[in-house]
Amino acid sequence: MPQLGESIAEATIVSFLVREGDVVEVDQDLFEVETNKATMTVTSPCRGRVAQFLVQPSQSYVVGAILGYVEATREEAARAGFDTSMITAAAQPNASNESGPAEPKEVQGVQPTVRGLPVPAHAQGASYMSPRLKARMAELGLHAADLAGVAGSGAGGRVTIQDFERFIASLEKQKISPASSMRVAVADAMRRSWTRPIASVGLPMALDALFAHRRQADPKPGPALYALRALALALAENSAPAGRLVGNKIVHPSAIDLGFAVEATDGVFVPVIRKADQKRLENLVTPYNQLIALAHQRKLPLEDTGGAIAVVTNFGTFGLTWATPIPMPEQTLVLGLGAARMAPRWDEAQGQFVPAMEANLTLSFDHRVLDGGAAGRLLSRVAELMSTPEKL
Amino acid sequence: MSVTYLEAIREAQARALRQDPRVFIYGQDVGVFGGAFKATKNLAREFPGRVIDAPISEDAIVGLAVGAAIEGMRPVVEIQFADFSSVGFNQIVNQAATLYWRTQVPCPITIRLPSGGTSGSGPFHSQSLESVYSHYPGLVVMTPATVEDAYGMLLEAIAIDDPVIFCEHKLLYYHLKAEQLPTEALPAGRARIARAGRDLTIVAYSAMVHESLAAAEELVSEGYQVEVVDLRSVKPLDTDTVMASVARTGRLLCVGESWPWGGVSAEVIARVASEGYDLLDAPPQRLNAKDTPVPFHPHLWAAHRPTARSVTNAARKLLRS
Amino acid sequence: MIQSAAPAELNRTSPLREAYLEGYRWMLLARLLDDKLASLYRGGKIHGGVFLGRGQEALSVAIGLALKRGDVFAPLVRDLAGRLAFGETVLDVVRTFMGSVLGPMRGRDGNVHRGRPREGMLPMISHLGAMTAVVNGMLLARRMKGEHGTVGVSCVGDGATSTGSFHEALNQAAIERLPLVLVVANNRYAYSTPNPRQFACRDLVDRAVGYGVTGHSLDGTDLAECLRVMAEAVRLAREGGGPQLVVAHLLRLCGHGEHDDAGYIEARVKESALGRDCLRVAEERILAESWVERAAVEAWQAERAQLVEEAVAKVQREPGPDPFEEDWLTLATGHLAEGDSSNQSS
Repeated sequence: MPQLGESIAEATIVSFLVREGDVVEVDQDLFEVETNKATMTVTSPCRGRVAQFLVQPSQSYVVGAILGYVEATREEAARAGFDTSMITAAAQPNASNESGPAEPKEVQGVQPTVRGLPVPAHAQGASYMSPRLKARMAELGLHAADLAGVAGSGAGGRVTIQDFERFIASLEKQKISPASSMRVAVADAMRRSWTRPIASVGLPMALDALFAHRRQADPKPGPALYALRALALALAENSAPAGRLVGNKIVHPSAIDLGFAVEATDGVFVPVIRKADQKRLENLVTPYNQLIALAHQRKLPLEDTGGAIAVVTNFGTFGLTWATPIPMPEQTLVLGLGAARMAPRWDEAQGQFVPAMEANLTLSFDHRVLDGGAAGRLLSRVAELMSTPEKL
Repeated sequence: MSVTYLEAIREAQARALRQDPRVFIYGQDVGVFGGAFKATKNLAREFPGRVIDAPISEDAIVGLAVGAAIEGMRPVVEIQFADFSSVGFNQIVNQAATLYWRTQVPCPITIRLPSGGTSGSGPFHSQSLESVYSHYPGLVVMTPATVEDAYGMLLEAIAIDDPVIFCEHKLLYYHLKAEQLPTEALPAGRARIARAGRDLTIVAYSAMVHESLAAAEELVSEGYQVEVVDLRSVKPLDTDTVMASVARTGRLLCVGESWPWGGVSAEVIARVASEGYDLLDAPPQRLNAKDTPVPFHPHLWAAHRPTARSVTNAARKLLRS
Repeated sequence: MIQSAAPAELNRTSPLREAYLEGYRWMLLARLLDDKLASLYRGGKIHGGVFLGRGQEALSVAIGLALKRGDVFAPLVRDLAGRLAFGETVLDVVRTFMGSVLGPMRGRDGNVHRGRPREGMLPMISHLGAMTAVVNGMLLARRMKGEHGTVGVSCVGDGATSTGSFHEALNQAAIERLPLVLVVANNRYAYSTPNPRQFACRDLVDRAVGYGVTGHSLDGTDLAECLRVMAEAVRLAREGGGPQLVVAHLLRLCGHGEHDDAGYIEARVKESALGRDCLRVAEERILAESWVERAAVEAWQAERAQLVEEAVAKVQREPGPDPFEEDWLTLATGHLAEGDSSNQSS
């Protein structure tokens, strides 16, 4: 089965276009197959006689599976790019690639890798990990996610200890450097967070009013602080969207404590502003700036971290206009702010496009707790509040 | 010259009688007749007064042995078939097995149980009771699989200061032969690697060692190297050797001819699962006799107990999991 | 079967007088100790059970006195008098009942399950009839070792005669013609089950013929008869007469254990000659024969009560077994013991 499109791992046989015994030309269509993206045909690699089909209609076969055999002359095969050993291999469908007396002949393994795929076909990753594998992984400090790209040769495609050791051995051929503890911590948080269905919504908002307000303010609030304050007020009106789903219950926030992401070397800090709904914007600027300074010095006091019910992240500082940040594992929401830019806006009164400052506002959320509509309503309310910054 | 498993048992008793005046043999038909299986052939003649015919009274046979042991003797009891030991069960598990614990007076008796199935023997002449006796504290349970062990372990059983249940397999009596009697032996409580391998550990004992070895041989053609551990004595159980083997292979199959419920194979698996969980690359499996009485007809009998074929199948399934 | 003769006239110097008085003194000690144990049980000082020999002291003491040091004795539940006469110490008794770590069973077993096999006294297991074959084994072993002249007594009750073990062991002893004296204390009830639900023969002693052994019958309420018949049975066994079956007729004058009020024992049986208290009968005879003065009897009682009190006072201060000191090993062969390793949770 050829690779019929990026990320396609398997295809279904729709029909046979030739019969066993037919003589086919090179590139002649042999099968009609269907992937989850399209219907297309599989062609003959060379001229020859169709010796055998190994597949059934309506059945799916992984990329790399042998669909059948075309009997060809040695010259024809050579012209098609096969060498003699490949011809021998094709004639013995059960032969293992690996020689050596100790390797089981009948083990029905998949090919460790299939050319052209970003991940190996049939790699179920570590869907089942034996105690021995888990123990070995614990010994090396590895997680299931680290094995996502390893093709298992065990039953049901599971990763055996041998697959694992081969994988580890293969890594040692490349440059290896230790991940910082910050990197490991972020990885751990993201992995845990990613166990939930995370979705994102977004909308563009005009920043003219916000910038106008900011020009006159002293001290000047950062753009993210406007977003933070707006989110605080929106959640103060209805905190349910920031609740956490635990079992079959929603746990509501006890206070509107909001975090904001501060980039540091090799990771991110998240200082927290407590009860952000109860302080006006101008009173938040100083503590906000202090927290950023402390974060950069890696000196955030314990009481100023943790316990946030949502986080604001200003990915616009990287020039990004759109992103789908992942909420922290213990939170349901993360509000993102994109880079501001001049954009044409349709002016109804003037009957023409006019230039305006605009940025995207995104909200990523735990889809178990919120649906798109609720997330959209919350995000629209935040945008609305940000458009009247004097009220923040 | 060659010596059978049965002859090894006879020779071990002859040697014990010769070397130790405290040893005597007591059981049904063991005297001039030489025993139902001829395990005491000629011994009564050679050792007059020390190879004694008993009435069909398993309770009293074992009880008498306990009394003699208190007096410093080392009786060897032959129960004609392991199955009949149930009639002497009380004296074995309540009298013999508890004596030392209660009184600090050792109870050096050896109870020979001709065990296991032979074709056509039916439900009352085929039982394997090592699991039952292993359940009771105070007993050593030996299950020799080789001619060498039949000889060496029986001598050790007689020398040990505790009651020993010596499960000798009837199927091996005549079928198993060695060139000669061994001159040295591994002590009881130590398992033996009967065959080295790296893909799967089969833990077996008694006749099942041979079924497992045949299965291991069969699996070579499929590219598997199966390790076979012969427990030799099921109590004490050599957990260390089993664990070391599982550490090498990551897979465990226990084979026993006794019934599955709460038996030796269950114990091996329990120990590996609780103490060696991290060694396992697949759920440990066991293969036992079916949970019915032992059937008479050869067709049923052969399907009732584990055989090389069923061990091969179970092993193959485990190797592919 | 040997019938008991009518009691002979005794005088102050007859050998029977000496045996009778010695028997009485052991019976007295046994009764006082039993009473004390019952009292300790009711006071919550004894765990498990207390099983008394009340009403069976005459038979039991006769066994103990008929045996010599070096003989084998497998007593049953109600043989305190016989045990004491055979050589068991009051301390061994009290220590086992109270679970002292210094007792012969070290707290591993209790109450009547005590013994010192090396000294010829076997600790009974609870399975009735199971001790007789063990006695057989000891006797056979002695014969094989060339040791002659010792006797083994195994005690059972009427209930045990229904077991296969009883049959197997008596038959075995008969085949081997062992010097075994098998004493059946027919106290009329096996726990609550009366004789007619236990056996259908006229008298248990009738079974002796079937086993090819000598049978003896005796009145267990009469110390003189007990002494005479037991001495005779033991003599016959010792002299090579093969197994002797002694059936004693008596009544248990207490419950099966102290937890049992024995309400099932019919008044008519209690009031019959069987229901006589052998201790009182013995005492009355001693006084009637003027073998000793009443004051002497009272002094014996006081001395023995004192002995019991002292033993109990001593044992009550002794430690029970410490589970952390216990080795939890069952085998004599240390290197074969698995120990507690298979049970990590404990």
